[in-house]
Amino acid sequence: MNNILLELKNISYKYKNDLILNKINLKINSGEKIALLGKSGSGKTTLISVLNGTIKPTKGEFKLFNKSFEELDRKQKSKITTIWQDLRLIEDLSAEQNVNCGLLAENNFYFAFKNLLNISSFKKAHKYMQLCRLHDSIYEKKIRKLSGGQKQRVAIARSLIQGSNILLADEPFNNLDPKLITIIKNLLLENVDKNNTKKSPKTALVALHRLDLLNDFDKVIGIRDGKIFFNIKRNNLKKLHLDKIY
Amino acid sequence: MNKLKLNYTSLSFLPILVCIPLGYQLINNIHFGGLKLFQEFLISAFNPKIDNEIIITVINRLNETILIGFFSWLVSIIFGAIFGIISSNIFYNIFNIPNIFYRIIKFFLTIIRSIHEVVWGIILMQIYGINFSIGIIAICIPYIAVNSKVFAEQLETIDYKSFESINQINAPKFSSLLTLIWNPIINTFKNFGLYRLECSIRSTVILGLFGIGGIGTSIFLSFQTLNFRELWTYLWSLAILIIISGLIFKKIKFNTKNKILSIFFIAVFFITILFSFSYFLYFIFKNNFETFHSISSLFKSSSDLGLFDFFKLILETIILSVLSTGIAISLPPLLIGIFNNNTSKIFIKIFALLLRLIPTPVVLLTLLTFNNPSLSLAALTLGLHNAGITSKLLFTNLDNQDRRNYIAMKSLGISKKTSWLLGLFSQQAKSYLAYCAYRSDIIIRETAIVGVIGSVGLGWQLQESLSSFAWQEVTIVLIAYSSIAIIGELINGKIKNSLT
Repeated sequence: MNNILLELKNISYKYKNDLILNKINLKINSGEKIALLGKSGSGKTTLISVLNGTIKPTKGEFKLFNKSFEELDRKQKSKITTIWQDLRLIEDLSAEQNVNCGLLAENNFYFAFKNLLNISSFKKAHKYMQLCRLHDSIYEKKIRKLSGGQKQRVAIARSLIQGSNILLADEPFNNLDPKLITIIKNLLLENVDKNNTKKSPKTALVALHRLDLLNDFDKVIGIRDGKIFFNIKRNNLKKLHLDKIY
Repeated sequence: MNKLKLNYTSLSFLPILVCIPLGYQLINNIHFGGLKLFQEFLISAFNPKIDNEIIITVINRLNETILIGFFSWLVSIIFGAIFGIISSNIFYNIFNIPNIFYRIIKFFLTIIRSIHEVVWGIILMQIYGINFSIGIIAICIPYIAVNSKVFAEQLETIDYKSFESINQINAPKFSSLLTLIWNPIINTFKNFGLYRLECSIRSTVILGLFGIGGIGTSIFLSFQTLNFRELWTYLWSLAILIIISGLIFKKIKFNTKNKILSIFFIAVFFITILFSFSYFLYFIFKNNFETFHSISSLFKSSSDLGLFDFFKLILETIILSVLSTGIAISLPPLLIGIFNNNTSKIFIKIFALLLRLIPTPVVLLTLLTFNNPSLSLAALTLGLHNAGITSKLLFTNLDNQDRRNYIAMKSLGISKKTSWLLGLFSQQAKSYLAYCAYRSDIIIRETAIVGVIGSVGLGWQLQESLSSFAWQEVTIVLIAYSSIAIIGELINGKIKNSLT
């Protein structure tokens, strides 16, 4: 549990004149499940974007598997999966095509081509869609025709199909009812690999607003104005901590 | 005193003021020498020549036109899509290519696009002589650039966040590119592809008037021999072709879920690319030495074109564009507004259809039978042709519009014309002006066609210089012509952006 998987050293990110992240220091060990708390605009999404390499920090050092992000090869980078707050699905593609996009990294160009022509196999995609409690009547529907909750679960299925062992999720339980939240939470955090056969430790950093969902997390990080205010074990979380960030 | 406030509605009508100087010059230029000919031309419309011989000729010429039009469309739409991809932001983002290459390709395509297919056709004919493939190449060159712009504009609408999302999955770059661009490309083809086929057939007809073959050449020859009955047989058959193809295109719906059809389209895509490349190489090697000779002569020949005359030609071309655009913008709403009843609307629609169908050079040649060649006459011809096109759009939009405001105004006792203006047209004015801004780009390019025939502007000078093989003059004229078109496109782009 104590080998460092991900490390941020003095990370700052400036957008125009605003300092969005301010000297962030963070170590995430393999297999840790971390909840990221903070009010809207506190820098949670930006932190996730730095961790998945979408944005480059203005200052500081970021290491994954003890290598800087630029040194990582495509295979290593594909070990990270992200569920975005705004989902970022491709609106013109069907739900099953979107889920299959999660397999693009491990397949060649021909697979992408078949996926778009609807002649690839959707078996695997359907399996993950079923796990996310998506009804088969929506498999072929375009994203733009789905409800908010259905879109949310398509994005989650796309992330799960990637079989990555590092999960970054930005408010993944939006638009879901309480029963679905429990199911999806278990799916996202359970230590099962993509073939459902071998146990592998899954590392997760999940941005949340709801405190009743913290039970399955090992650690809680509180962020405000781009600064980490606390990084503690879940059991040690007190009202005092929450007052600092909300 | 109240200040004059301009809104989109009044801006749609104001350009009609160009008719004041235009009308003045036209009235001064009237001559009655060809009035009999004009009368004969009009009467022949109702009495076209119909016999076995001409029917066979019509079928053969239409076949040629369709073949040139179809092949130039196929090649230009496929290569247009390819160039559209490599001139869109998304391509450069995925492959991390420096932005400078994006700008270079965009600029290169803008230059190619700025020169009308007739100009390309005349130049290529001068270098390589007349043959079937010259027509296809002349249409393909600017059409690839025009189509690439449309495809690129669609690809620019791809949400950057979708790109980030696919990029984060760390898929191979070509897989990411294909996944992101697939639907915008297919949708552009669905919405725009068949319209471009119609454009391609029209361009083939116009190039035919300059000798490239097909029905255009027959139209020109029968006009030259003043055989108006034969001319109208060709014009009506062309009208039938365009109307029937328009009706067929409306019925065609591409079903991208049909796997066999998708595979067929992909096969056509690759075969066309392969064939085009093979033909391109064959063309280059076959004509290698002649081409070299022509290009080298560009540096040997000198120019007799004086600086003052040259600027005068540029000014003429700009004025020609402005006057034609004025007519194209204001004439349709003005006519529909004034003659606002169902019978008049039918007549306006037929008139607009004829303006679209009859090639501009034929209209200009006909008007020359009773008016001396002038800038105003060329502007009137070009303006009328484009008014035929803008009126089609305006009619379609007005027919599809919610009429509740119009009905409410009429029920208040407001006159029918005022209710139409404020209750119907005013809601369309903004989008109509945006379309006209796009149309004026095309008008600038089309000045070359009327210029060649109407002895006006750079188009006329180009024809003169080409006839005397003054290649340096040709180059200068082309640079000037292209610069006007590029500046026009930039200005119109800004206007269009502010309206959408």
